[in-house]
Amino acid sequence: MMRGKDQQLQPETAELVTTVLEREQLASAAKTAVPRRRLSPTQLAVLWSLRIYVLFMIAVVVYQVWAATAQQ
Amino acid sequence: MALNSVQVGPPPSITHEDIDRAHDRQRVMWARQQGGAFSRIRLLWLLVGPGILVMLGENDGPSMLSYAATGARFGIGFFIPFIILTFVMAIIVQEMTVRLGAATHRGHAELIFERYGPFWGWFSMLDLLIGNFLTLITEFIAVRAGLGFFGVPPWAAVLIAITILLLALLTHRYWTWERVTLAAALFNLVFIPVALLTHPDWGGVGRALLTWQPFPREGLTSGTLIIVLANIGATVTPWMLFFQQSAIVDKGLTRRDISFGRLDTVLGAALAALAAVAMVLCTTPLFLHGMSTANYQAAEFAQALRPIIGKLGASLFALGIVEAGIVASITISISSAYAFGEVARRPHSLNLPLTEGKSFYAVLLLLAAAAGGLVLIPGLPLVYVVLIVNVIAVLAMPPALVFLYMLVNDRELMGALVSPRWANLLAGAVVVVLTSAGILFGMSVIAPHVFATLGGR
Repeated sequence: MMRGKDQQLQPETAELVTTVLEREQLASAAKTAVPRRRLSPTQLAVLWSLRIYVLFMIAVVVYQVWAATAQQ
Repeated sequence: MALNSVQVGPPPSITHEDIDRAHDRQRVMWARQQGGAFSRIRLLWLLVGPGILVMLGENDGPSMLSYAATGARFGIGFFIPFIILTFVMAIIVQEMTVRLGAATHRGHAELIFERYGPFWGWFSMLDLLIGNFLTLITEFIAVRAGLGFFGVPPWAAVLIAITILLLALLTHRYWTWERVTLAAALFNLVFIPVALLTHPDWGGVGRALLTWQPFPREGLTSGTLIIVLANIGATVTPWMLFFQQSAIVDKGLTRRDISFGRLDTVLGAALAALAAVAMVLCTTPLFLHGMSTANYQAAEFAQALRPIIGKLGASLFALGIVEAGIVASITISISSAYAFGEVARRPHSLNLPLTEGKSFYAVLLLLAAAAGGLVLIPGLPLVYVVLIVNVIAVLAMPPALVFLYMLVNDRELMGALVSPRWANLLAGAVVVVLTSAGILFGMSVIAPHVFATLGGR
């Protein structure tokens, strides 16, 4: 089963693809979603802490830029 | 788990992308069947790429200017072994993406989005896209500054960079794109002959490598910390995770190829570390002559070095900066396009013809064009922007690393390739180093008195 202009492809090409590539390597495999995994409370706490850390530190960087600009 | 199990079902649909990848994999299969030493060399040739590209790609415009600023401000000393340490950290981190990509055949953004849900997926995407866009701006700053040395006007410099980016994409073939970009990326090593022209103090280099001395005379100030963070950000950044994993998937690496993927990463790190240290050595004479280089861009560094390394040396220096900016603008914009395609579930491969990969190529070119356009705004504090972008990259890294850590420890996804304890300890150490450096920087800005009691100034 092929699509678009690839419909003219030779059977040996199709065979090469299915022989050489693992099934999960095919572009069509990306359409199958990876099963969802629930995050544990610890994982959530770590992720939120790091999120707050990033936002806080970006504020620090902005302040540093402002202070440096004001000094000039 | 569906990802690693043998599936039985209807015949799969085959795309242009699959056929190109199959041809690449067929050559790998043939090389493997031959056996012997020559076969190993051929396999290495066929399988290297993403690791070298990501490491030399990260030796980008802002990184090289950070190393230049380091050499000009501190000379030979603490920062030489420190830069090598940052590349060791990069190897630890990037090795995980090799395993993850080869085991799952999925990109990094795609895995976060699907495994942990759209909320965290979009957060990661946002971090990546903002970080990448800011970094792209600095790549064009580097190209503009480097070509400025030769008298090329800024608009022409931006146009040249975008044209080269476009030409690299016209191949519509991952393999060709990878080889062309690799050849261009190896020009990063031009800083080695330039460094040799400065007649470095090799004894001092040896002592610095062994003792990590001399430490910066001014001690631990916020200025020193910015350079520390900029040097870490010059080596370990979020886009690298996304790029190498997606490139490994696009190249078609499998579990059998992981040892070559690791070698590729170590080789890339070694080459990039050589170029980075060479850059510090290049600008050390400016430190020895006590020159103030706080507001230097590539052209100014090249001009200042001209009496020491001659016209040819200065020209090579400027060209090296141009190359660093152009190669990184290619790899970084591709990492954004990969991530966008993975999350938006649009085709995303360098094997795609333009007609099948419209959104992939459009994202890539739009980002580059927007970043290039911004650089033309007069009065932008370019050097400061460059350093700050690297600092922001370090700050955004811990959350990205935590997702990477969770993914490589996910037995359902990784199977036997799940991270061993020692790899987890090393990854944990990298997160601690990055977070600590960020917190120290924050303290030096917000609470300098507390910082001073810890030994800083």
